[in-house]
Amino acid sequence: MLRSSLQLLRSSLPFPNTSSVNSVVANPLALHSRCMHLTSNLFAERRDLRTYRMTMPSKDQTLHGEKSIEIDSVKDKKGMFPDKDTPNRVFDGVLFKELPIFNIKACKNNTIITMSDFKGNVHLTKSCGTCGFKTAKKATNIAAQTTAISISTKALGELGVRTARVRVQGIGPGRMAAIKGLQMGGINIVCITDNTHVSWAPPRARKQRRV
Amino acid sequence: MGIRHAYFMSRTVLVKNNDVEHATRVLNRILGKEEILDQFRRTRYYEKPTQVRRRINYERCKAIYDEDMNRRIQFLMRTNRVEAFPGNM
Repeated sequence: MLRSSLQLLRSSLPFPNTSSVNSVVANPLALHSRCMHLTSNLFAERRDLRTYRMTMPSKDQTLHGEKSIEIDSVKDKKGMFPDKDTPNRVFDGVLFKELPIFNIKACKNNTIITMSDFKGNVHLTKSCGTCGFKTAKKATNIAAQTTAISISTKALGELGVRTARVRVQGIGPGRMAAIKGLQMGGINIVCITDNTHVSWAPPRARKQRRV
Repeated sequence: MGIRHAYFMSRTVLVKNNDVEHATRVLNRILGKEEILDQFRRTRYYEKPTQVRRRINYERCKAIYDEDMNRRIQFLMRTNRVEAFPGNM
């Protein structure tokens, strides 16, 4: 605004385009008019908070492949989904319904992995916190992967679990990493199932975070 | 209190050829398409009635626009073929 008013001043002078010496004398302001910023230009796009919030990507991370549109042929998908015979299929000498289960709970701040048998008795429990990661470091995919590797090696060594089913819950940062870590630890994963608790008529949730 | 669905039957993907990543991608895509994850994110914090109204109105407008735009695209891309990519889901 300051700048434009200066320009106005300049253009309203009687002889704007006379010789250079004359113009300097006539309009001393012209020498000193330059771009003025009252605040740093670095955060120019942040000045308008509303547009800034609209342009920023949402904090909720989308899961890998969640929004993608892929064309899978029927042939690829064949045998990917369970049918009525699946519970009685044999994997590695054990019935599908009697395979041990790795439960992964991937929450916002932590990843907890438990190993249970098909009846639901828990044999092993590990979380990012017990694996030596503290505070914000728990909420990383590296922590989740390390936890998964350690629990799977323990399950392999102590309980002899080679083949297992995986049940994931929640959409934390450790969701994908934990599944990968189990595989890296030597577990043969038969199936992945999602057990995220979702309700369409939930009780009133806590109020929104104000950051 | 969990959801009562058939465990290891619904929302389940079997892993083929040890390709865990592909299986997870398929699972995530299904969950995204069914709006299960959207609902999960929405219900983590209370959504005020004004916000609900705004969202519903936006969704309504978007659906109308999408329907019309899809019709236009279909009209422009019309061909004599029965199906462009036979054998796909």
